[in-house]
Amino acid sequence: MDNVAEKVTNDSANYENSFSKPIIKTGRWTLLIAIPLSFLPAIYLYLNYGAIPPIGRILTGWFLIVSIYGSYYVIEPVSFFPVLGVSGTYMSFLAGNIGNMRLPCAAVAQEALQVEPGSNKAELVATLGIAGSIITNLIVITIAAVAGNQLFNYFPDPVINAFDFVLPGIFGSMFAMFAIKHPVYGAFALSIVLIMLGIIKVLPVYVVIPASVFLTIAFAVMSYKRKKSA
Amino acid sequence: MSDYLQVANDPMLWLMAAPGIAIVALQAVLFSKKAFNAGKYANLTRSEARKAFKVGAISAIGPAVAVFIVMLGMMSVVGAPITWMRLAMIGAAPTELTAATMGAQAMGVEFGGPGYGVTEYAASVWTMSLNGIGWLLFCGLFTHKLTGIRDKVSKGDDRLTVEIGGAAMLGAFAYLVGGHLVAGGGRLIAAVASGLAMIALVYIAKRVPRLLEYNLGIAMVIGMIAGVMFT
Repeated sequence: MDNVAEKVTNDSANYENSFSKPIIKTGRWTLLIAIPLSFLPAIYLYLNYGAIPPIGRILTGWFLIVSIYGSYYVIEPVSFFPVLGVSGTYMSFLAGNIGNMRLPCAAVAQEALQVEPGSNKAELVATLGIAGSIITNLIVITIAAVAGNQLFNYFPDPVINAFDFVLPGIFGSMFAMFAIKHPVYGAFALSIVLIMLGIIKVLPVYVVIPASVFLTIAFAVMSYKRKKSA
Repeated sequence: MSDYLQVANDPMLWLMAAPGIAIVALQAVLFSKKAFNAGKYANLTRSEARKAFKVGAISAIGPAVAVFIVMLGMMSVVGAPITWMRLAMIGAAPTELTAATMGAQAMGVEFGGPGYGVTEYAASVWTMSLNGIGWLLFCGLFTHKLTGIRDKVSKGDDRLTVEIGGAAMLGAFAYLVGGHLVAGGGRLIAAVASGLAMIALVYIAKRVPRLLEYNLGIAMVIGMIAGVMFT
């Protein structure tokens, strides 16, 4: 009995040291080094073509775009964190395509391996699922960038049109996959989203995303506590 | 072809885009290696770990091909190398095109319109890059501080952790699917059809567990067919 308990403590300490801590280190330097690398094309345009806007214009452009997306820099990572975890957040916000690719691939990998949600194993499986999806994405995007225009001619029109429905298809099936497990939370989440998007309509995205995630969490915690005390 | 597009497709720009993309790939490899090695402390066998990676890679094919289609449009206005870089790192096409437009507006011209030359194009590239670093900076500096929000609420109650995780997923996907439901038409049909297909597939997969890893792909294709048939 003592041996079992000891193994569990050792495992969780080892897990911390071999995954949780190094992930933070690697995650930080990969993201922070990506920042200067983002500017290489802009710098090349200046050095080779002398093409650079006056600094004031650059700042104006920056101000305009921050006024549109600035709140997303904080809201998106905070809202998706409960789902993605530490390693998933580092990977997803470096590689992008979060809702349509990273979240579904993490969730499907966890589903396929039948892991217990919230466990260390679930975190590893999500990490691997996201990593797999990043590699696929890089391959497809590279093919598209190099040969996309030639390939496009081979796709018949109905197939091209069908791709308009990829997003509703993914989101609809992912929502259903989780709603089967927690039908009441699903009904709650969908109702508040439809009220916000369909009836109130004017709410900005930086209100709607955190509201739907955190109100559903609050609802789940309350109903869980009520059930437990009953 | 306007002259800025000649610059935008300068072969050297591929080389300038490559290091950023290499970091994305490197990070995915490093994280996978660590996950493989930590598996023994979390009851994850090596074959399970390989399967997790494979399922992620397969499930991404559909969404990645969808990005492919959007890319073609973006390439025609900002050139192939920049599109390649922006969509492999943090970017999504609508965000990047908005940033490119704001760059042009800061220069007082219309994006891609008359007067949109090489310097204006450079302004678009600057704006896209400056926008992208917002997420990198925030996540690079603060991700590890976000840890523990969930733990604090659940206080070690495992069952509650599961409930919170499910609720967070449902909140996120309710938002993501909500826009398509409200839009109506083919998008509404596609969302509902793929949702129903997924429910059916989950029940079928109880008898045929091998099906599980293809659920998302199959449900998505059913939704796409339903959407096309409606419109």
